[in-house]
Amino acid sequence: MIELHRVWKTYEVGPVKIPALSDVSFQVLRGEFVVLTGASGAGKTTLLRLLYRDEVPSEGDIEVLGTALTRLKPSAVSALRRALGVVFQDAKLLPGRTVYENIAFVLRVTGTPRREITARVFDALRAVGLSARAQSYPAQLSQGEAQRAALARAIARKPALLLADEPTGNLDDVMAAEVLDVVKDIWERGTTVVLATHQARLVRVLRRRTLVLEGGRLVKDEG
Amino acid sequence: MLGFLISEAVRDCRRAGRVAASAVLLIALSLVALGGFWVLSANLGYAVAEWRDRVRIIVYLKRELSSVEATDLRERVEALGDVASVAYVGKAQALSALKRTLGTNASVLDELPANPLPASLEVTPAPAAATPEGAHALIERLQRLPEAEEVAGGVEWVERLAQWRRLLNLAGAGVGAVLGLAAIVTVTTATTLVLHARRQEAEIMRLVGAPESAIRLPLLLQGMMQGLLGAGLALVLLVAAYRVVGPRVEPLLTLTIGLPRLEFLPVPALAALLVAGTVLGGLGGVLARSGRDR
Repeated sequence: MIELHRVWKTYEVGPVKIPALSDVSFQVLRGEFVVLTGASGAGKTTLLRLLYRDEVPSEGDIEVLGTALTRLKPSAVSALRRALGVVFQDAKLLPGRTVYENIAFVLRVTGTPRREITARVFDALRAVGLSARAQSYPAQLSQGEAQRAALARAIARKPALLLADEPTGNLDDVMAAEVLDVVKDIWERGTTVVLATHQARLVRVLRRRTLVLEGGRLVKDEG
Repeated sequence: MLGFLISEAVRDCRRAGRVAASAVLLIALSLVALGGFWVLSANLGYAVAEWRDRVRIIVYLKRELSSVEATDLRERVEALGDVASVAYVGKAQALSALKRTLGTNASVLDELPANPLPASLEVTPAPAAATPEGAHALIERLQRLPEAEEVAGGVEWVERLAQWRRLLNLAGAGVGAVLGLAAIVTVTTATTLVLHARRQEAEIMRLVGAPESAIRLPLLLQGMMQGLLGAGLALVLLVAAYRVVGPRVEPLLTLTIGLPRLEFLPVPALAALLVAGTVLGGLGGVLARSGRDR
């Protein structure tokens, strides 16, 4: 499903080189739930951005869903991303559209046939327990609901792999638990999940395979 | 997908608000200017063509000719070359023609003691000679006829009319180009504002794997819609101006250049204006997109 081989990522700011990832290698198998953890600045977000090809590695090879990302043409990036679901710390919902429209919009721009859209939007909303909020605007949602709406948007296209970057970072414990329950549900339905978090308590609660990053290096792979 | 792209483009137009409205107005103004000059130029063109067909050289004769002499002279003139036709107009015929022209005032001619009008030959040059140089050469040959008293006519003024038309075309193209450029800049600005407003949307679209066409096409469509709207507005304004101004200037045109009525633009020209507006708008949309890509 995911394979990284000796991946390095260095940002250059003028003459200064800032290493974000150093010699990272690991594999994630189909159906796994992997937690990526480490302090802020450890390289979690950079690693996820490499996985959805928002960044390219400075060195090393990455394969996601059988596609070698290092040599991927820019024109093929959109095809890769259509097979992924991505959620972020901020839900990134479009403020001028309702929850329903936010999800339908993504389905439409990725070429889902029009007649399937309503059913798929409500399937996704049911999966995250948000059917009743379909006509609400993002400003009318709690942060937990907004994050669940973002998850619904990510899974509406039935992705094989869900990448979640600090999805509970802005939430209190109750809301975080709700969002985690939704992520676990998604995983139990067969989607491979990679979840990045800096919250140690979450890692303990989840009790899944955990990759620990420190200063851009993978220092632990346990569970 | 096309329906979605169009609905997004409409949404973008609404977002651009006043700037989009300004762009539509500027496109309309540039096309009104272009269309207005086009109407004038086309009508001058009709007048030039009409007058080219009606160019006559009049050879005033020293005296009235008998029918045998007139036939002989006609044959000699036809043999000069570059002549399409020759007609002999006797003194009485000339007087009748003048009476017809004067209409109700023709009675003044009855007061004359004698017919003062000379007999003449009306020479129609062949199409090849209907140029200033050709007409000059023909006039020189006609002046050498022993029966000729005076030779009048030529095509210089028709050529001047044609020159005015060329000048009008140039001015129309110039004004249209300047306004068209301003329209492109305004559409670009409107589209850039929309781009700014939908930056987050574009980011999300890219993250979920929307094809670039789904991100870029609404911008192009937005520009094209503004262009088409501006062109439509321009056509409405042109038709309105034609309806209001046309009847007022027609008598003047008839008197000066002999056009019976002011013609409006033909359908292909109207279609060309619509296409021009759409292209102007589309160009603005494309340029804004390039700016974002940088």
